[in-house]
Amino acid sequence: MRKFLNGPWVLLMPTLIILTCVVLLPLLLSLWTSFTPFKLTKPDTLYRFVGFRNYERLIGDIDFWIAFGRTVLFLAVALNLELVFGLGIALLINKITYGQRTLRTLMMFPMMFSPILVGFQWKYIFNDNIGLMNNFLREFGVIQPIPWLVDGILANTSIMAAEIWSSTSVFAILLLAGLLGIPKDPIEAAKVDGCNSWQVFKNITLPFLMPFVFIAMTIRSLDVARAYDIVQMMTGGGPAKRTELLWTLISRTGYVDAKMGMANAMSYISIFLSIAFTFFFFYKLVEARQRLSYE
Amino acid sequence: MLRLFLSLILTVSFFGSFSAKAETELWGDYSGVTLRVKLIGGGQYEGLYNEVIPWWEENTGGKIEIVTQKNHFELDKEIKKDIASGNLDFCVASNHTSFASQYGNIYTDLNNIMPASVLADYTPLILEHSTVDGRLVQMPRHSDVSNLYYQKSLYEDADNKANFKAKYGYDLTPPETWDQVKDQAIFFSNPPDFYGTQYVGKEEAIAGRFYELVIANGGALFDEDYRPIFNSAAGVEALQWFIDLYNAKAVPDGVLNYLWDDTGLGFASGTIAMNLDWAGWAGFFNDPENSKVAGDIGLVRAPMGSGGLRTGWSGSHSFSMTESCPDKEAAASFLWALTSNKAQMIEARGGLSPTRPAIWDAIIAEKKAEGDEFMLMVFETFKMSLAEDAFTPPLIPEWIEFTNVLYPELQAAILGDKSPEDALAIASKKATEIMEDAGYF
Repeated sequence: MRKFLNGPWVLLMPTLIILTCVVLLPLLLSLWTSFTPFKLTKPDTLYRFVGFRNYERLIGDIDFWIAFGRTVLFLAVALNLELVFGLGIALLINKITYGQRTLRTLMMFPMMFSPILVGFQWKYIFNDNIGLMNNFLREFGVIQPIPWLVDGILANTSIMAAEIWSSTSVFAILLLAGLLGIPKDPIEAAKVDGCNSWQVFKNITLPFLMPFVFIAMTIRSLDVARAYDIVQMMTGGGPAKRTELLWTLISRTGYVDAKMGMANAMSYISIFLSIAFTFFFFYKLVEARQRLSYE
Repeated sequence: MLRLFLSLILTVSFFGSFSAKAETELWGDYSGVTLRVKLIGGGQYEGLYNEVIPWWEENTGGKIEIVTQKNHFELDKEIKKDIASGNLDFCVASNHTSFASQYGNIYTDLNNIMPASVLADYTPLILEHSTVDGRLVQMPRHSDVSNLYYQKSLYEDADNKANFKAKYGYDLTPPETWDQVKDQAIFFSNPPDFYGTQYVGKEEAIAGRFYELVIANGGALFDEDYRPIFNSAAGVEALQWFIDLYNAKAVPDGVLNYLWDDTGLGFASGTIAMNLDWAGWAGFFNDPENSKVAGDIGLVRAPMGSGGLRTGWSGSHSFSMTESCPDKEAAASFLWALTSNKAQMIEARGGLSPTRPAIWDAIIAEKKAEGDEFMLMVFETFKMSLAEDAFTPPLIPEWIEFTNVLYPELQAAILGDKSPEDALAIASKKATEIMEDAGYF
């Protein structure tokens, strides 16, 4: 006992207790509920074990898998576009010598808006009747209003535009930090050896930057679910499920239909999606670091 | 039964410029009592609290602590979470007849709390709609039913009259049937500047509109055993009405994302000819500061479907008392105050439909005395509509869950992704699963 009290476990105990209470227990409880028909309005259902029934139903639920596929597509397209735009902004800001601090602050403005507010703003911009976009297009002779939030492709693109506007600056800031940390010597040496700007970027800047790219990707792939508020505000997953993502489906199942057991089963399946993205980006991060150290 | 110091005082209330029928009041001395309450928020609802809470506190010595004030859908989620966590540490909460059956037995049976003389002041049918499994779980605040607002000048225009008659073969008058609404909406439409009508296009809102049209067409959502039967001729006809208007561009393209604010503000913008809406919008529509159609508004009872019935999807906002409330007599007094003659008159002046017959008489008398012809028309139309046309959705706990499987299929049919028959067949299959899971059959 004395050995235990003097050992490292005592120092770790507060952390372990907090992590158990805040992370482990809720995870175990939600895992348990996914094996029950738990309804929020019927607390007794928490104790009725139904095995894999919720999971079996989800496997045969085409609506769930369509939402799952759409979420994967949304993540892939939105994160890559955010990366491209964020990299572009970071490179441009890195070039300037005057006003960089001011621009960095301005760049962070979209991050200061709550996702709900972003959703409201962009819903108004894309409103077919009174929205800014259609009124702007009307000035250029587009008389028939475009149903931005009704047509399947346009609605998903509109939501993605809002999400990209809101989160590109996260990439830009992380990549700018990476750019500021790149040593100048290899770049100057390459220029002396006759490399053009593209060759310098491709062979020196980008490899140095890749660990930051994958760190940014990992962070964003984990917190991209914050876009739930944006989707909920703009379309609510509709019309006719055309913009339904896992987040809107799970939220409606859990809180509106009160079927929390089923919603948690959906969540546990979707967790595999997050784990897959995170694992992939960590793998690429390690690979990029190793390549950098070899070079 | 309530404890001793609950006092019942039969008085005649005088407030403002009118005198209402004798009312049973429910005052008591509640010094030292603090009631925690969760209320529906929003501009339309909060005026009542600003007047009634100080009034109740002054007369009883009690205090009201507002724990939550948010829109009804958010409040619904919060209360469901409270039920799941067993954390029902509040006494009074806003409720609605369409939502109440979801909440199990967390709310007290007010038949055992409210004196019969108090209950006698409310419309009996509305109290019946406020009852779940024989338990009166809510005191009705105001009732909702929709009627058809329209721009009067469109119907007075000689060219419109002649052109409409030439095209459709009958006179242009405010519509009596939903088929006439469709004809006239298509006739008036000139997209993207002007539309014949609009409808709420998602969630419970469009499901409710579909429901009332199915009833008006002579159909039903469920049979006696709660098996879905809306996949019928009446159901397809109802859904086809939405589809036809959408395809004819007689409604805005974005209508499937519209909820109540969008349709209300749309009509006030002057770009919509006809608008089926609640009484609460009447004052807003006729206010020149908010509305471009102020002074040009007509109102008729909701039209009839092919079954000869008028649409009349109805419900009541209400207040409930939790079973766990430690001060039930104080809470009963507060429930009475929130739905009293004084409270209902405050809301009626804003255009909301009262749940006490005495207030209908009082508000109509007041508007007559003021010479306010518009609001007089509004109250007389809604009074008749609530008396003769109104019906509630099925008062079952599965109502909201059911609407969540129905509305995406309605939208899919309206957008042309599915035929109306296919959409209703899929919705019917999903609804059957819900009712089976709930143990109805």
